Amino acid sequence: MSGKAQYRLDILLGILLFAGMSFALYMALIGAPTERTMGDLQRIFYFHVPAAITGLAAFATNFVSSLVFLLRKNRRWDALALASAELGILFFCMVLVTGPIWAKPVWFVWWTWSPRLTASFILCLLYVAYMLIRKSYEDPERKASVSAVFGVIAFVDAPLVWFSIRWWRDIHPSPMLETGGLDPSMRPAFYACLGAFLILFLYLLRRRFCLETMRNKVDGLLLRLDEMR
Amino acid sequence: MHKIWAIFRKDLLIEFRTKDSLTAMLFFGIVVLVVFNFALGSLHQAVRSAVPGVLWVAFAFSGTLGLNRLFAVEKENGCLQGLLMIPADRGAVYLGKMLASCFFMLIAEAVLFIAALVLFNLTVRNEIPWLMLVFVVGTLGFTAVGTLLSAIAVNTRLREVLLPLMLFPVILPILINAVEATDIILNSADYGALKLPLTVMSAFTIIFATISYLLFERVLEE
Amino acid sequence: MDKMHYLFAAYMAIWILLALYLFSIHSRERKLREEIERLKNILDKAE
Repeated sequence: MSGKAQYRLDILLGILLFAGMSFALYMALIGAPTERTMGDLQRIFYFHVPAAITGLAAFATNFVSSLVFLLRKNRRWDALALASAELGILFFCMVLVTGPIWAKPVWFVWWTWSPRLTASFILCLLYVAYMLIRKSYEDPERKASVSAVFGVIAFVDAPLVWFSIRWWRDIHPSPMLETGGLDPSMRPAFYACLGAFLILFLYLLRRRFCLETMRNKVDGLLLRLDEMR
Repeated sequence: MHKIWAIFRKDLLIEFRTKDSLTAMLFFGIVVLVVFNFALGSLHQAVRSAVPGVLWVAFAFSGTLGLNRLFAVEKENGCLQGLLMIPADRGAVYLGKMLASCFFMLIAEAVLFIAALVLFNLTVRNEIPWLMLVFVVGTLGFTAVGTLLSAIAVNTRLREVLLPLMLFPVILPILINAVEATDIILNSADYGALKLPLTVMSAFTIIFATISYLLFERVLEE
Repeated sequence: MDKMHYLFAAYMAIWILLALYLFSIHSRERKLREEIERLKNILDKAE
């Protein structure tokens, strides 16, 4: 892609993001009806759940690009894997912060070891480990392939974690967890927020990806400098 | 097949000559058991229901110690290069190493289990074959991932620090199911309920052994 | 109604996290850009 087209894409994504986020905020805070039992608190849901879904999408992106990297050995896929892992952690941080804030007034506890909470937490830990691996390898080639291997393992592990915890914890039921279906009147706000979060994800992914290509460029320049000496 | 066996035997020979990591694993496991004995001191009646968790925490910690040494030994002696040059594919190296670490862990587990019986005043008789089955399946799963992650960790700056950070989140399904299965055996004797945790653990083992077997060369490549 | 500040806190937390992340990306970008400029200058002089 040429520089000009890149620039246009940036502007386009920025506008989309701004419009989408404003609309989503409006829908979530004002547009959607107030929930009967929880009141306005339920509005946290509109940002909490889309953040979780987007985080999962980010980890899935990491998995796919790790796999493609292992097959093709193209560094661009490694950059994409890194960018999406970092964003996945960011979105899950949002989930893990807003979750307790919602739970405190509704469940009267900040945290409970229910399947969803535990699994999200573990998922976050898995990808923090992924970032740590990246941090502790010097050689960029090896860093890329080793972290790709771990990316594959982490994503395959996630459903196993989920099923084990779910089955294990179901012995001690956590009744407040399942809310049932979403009321139709709340769906527009939910989908608006989901859309806004996905745009946010794409926007950040692009920014982070470009950052990584810049870093590779620096590495290339350094290499050239080394050769001249 | 005989290549896997050769690597397995080599590791056993080294270990039985030096006894470095086995001693460390055993000692650390026992320390963990003792510490838990103090931590749980106040709930004497409920101790039997706490034992499965305590046991597997001890197994996991001592196993991590063993996994840390698994490739560090090769690295320190400059044998990692040699290991990569043997005329076998990397998958064979992985399987040999995995079997070796599984073997050491099982030895440590046997001793630790007996120690736990004494320290927590338990009596078991008919449960033993079932417990052995759970220990073997759980340990296979633990080392299936652990061997690969140990190979990842050995080439990093952080090494011993990095391994548990990667290992414990990944290994969680094994720990949960192993604790659950041990609990069923010790506290409810409803052996039919063992099917689910054993299935999950076996599935975990097969999935991760396959992935590791295929991807091992990407971890240890030059 | 007194639960409103929980809602406020949750939304604030999201925006703060996002702002921090954007800031970190931005500063990393700037550092790299400066680095590229510096290296290019050295290379130009050397050629």
